[in-house]
Amino acid sequence: MSSGSRNRRSPLTLVAGASPARETGSAKPGSTAEKQASAHDLDWSILMARAQTGDGEAYRRLLAEIAPYLRSLAVRHHRDPSDVEDTVQDVLLTVHAIRHTYDPDRPFGPWLVAIANRRIVDRLRRQGRTRSREIALDLEHETFAAPQANSPEEAWNKRVLWDAVESLPPGQRQAIQLLKLQEMSLKEAAVATGMSIASLKVATHRALKSLRKMLMKRSRET
Amino acid sequence: MITTPELIDSLAANVTPVRRLRPPLLRAAFWLALAALVLVLLAISHGVRPDLAQRLQQPVFAVGLVASLLTGVLAAVAAFVISLPDRSRRWLFLPAPALVAWVSTIGYGCLSDWVSIAPDGVRLGEAARCFATLVLTSLPLSLALLVMLRHAAPLRPTAVTLTGSLAVAAITATALSLFHDLDATVMVLIWNLGAAALIVALGGMLGPRMLSQVALRAFPHDREA
Repeated sequence: MSSGSRNRRSPLTLVAGASPARETGSAKPGSTAEKQASAHDLDWSILMARAQTGDGEAYRRLLAEIAPYLRSLAVRHHRDPSDVEDTVQDVLLTVHAIRHTYDPDRPFGPWLVAIANRRIVDRLRRQGRTRSREIALDLEHETFAAPQANSPEEAWNKRVLWDAVESLPPGQRQAIQLLKLQEMSLKEAAVATGMSIASLKVATHRALKSLRKMLMKRSRET
Repeated sequence: MITTPELIDSLAANVTPVRRLRPPLLRAAFWLALAALVLVLLAISHGVRPDLAQRLQQPVFAVGLVASLLTGVLAAVAAFVISLPDRSRRWLFLPAPALVAWVSTIGYGCLSDWVSIAPDGVRLGEAARCFATLVLTSLPLSLALLVMLRHAAPLRPTAVTLTGSLAVAAITATALSLFHDLDATVMVLIWNLGAAALIVALGGMLGPRMLSQVALRAFPHDREA
């Protein structure tokens, strides 16, 4: 039985070593990633063997080269980019912790993929457990169809903001209304008001500044 | 949060030389040598059961003894092999045939002489010494296995602890049938299978946690495991 499992050395390792670093960046999910992995297998195997003897430079190169490959594996199971990155880091930490279990006589790819799969599955399970205890709020949980009716605070905030805008000096008020509320471009607003673009910018800037001051003061009072 | 390039830099900066694991078969052989040592020590201190030669003439007893020993050996090999990430999970089934043979001999004994159970067939003293053998065999072997297989914690903790516990349980059961003349079938069943089930269950429940505890102490930088 032992001889059977020893013979699983990948035949593709023979073509390794042509151009290692270039293609790793463009790893895509699917067979390309696997092809790259088997093409780099011999390189990675040698780098890992050197890392096991304490060669930091070889280790850094190995980790930097396997990271994009691991990312391509993780992307197949996780959609959230931060999950993907966390999985990659989990795998790197595990590789570091059990680097002494790698036997340089055997191919590197299966060793790495087994660890990566383990970490991906672990994260999926943890997410499954978390999700089973959480409920996402969606539209059905709202009482009324109109969004304003659901949150009186929002209506109140709007009212306060509206009053604040009303109390601005006329030039600033106009600038805010045209540029921010009606979302005109600077050019359109300049045509509509006859003011220059520069003075519109100045007016908007001052208006925002005084609005901020007014709203801060109000929130401190309440 | 630390970014991946930062993590790579810090891992590469802290890389220390490691000693590669020896081949799994060799490591299993080391552990089995320890098991043999424990059995020999027990035999010297305790003496084998008085009717061993006589019992070995009985095919059911002999087959059961060989099968339980074989289960122990094969389960130990399987545990060491599957503790490595790149080996097939199918090694889990390696001890299965021996396990079936062992369990079926116990079952056969149970069917054939269940009438001979005497109400006072087992004295408390014997049962207590039996328990001592159980602890003396299984404890050192479990601890050794735990330390030798700690690297499996982030990989396949459950499968490895189950096979490892099976190995310990089978060796313990072998020790029990070598050293104690518990002839009442129910007792054999309870001691053999009960002890085996207990060790396997304890291993399955505590093993993953214990493995990661041991692993944590051994590799302090890896807080993820």
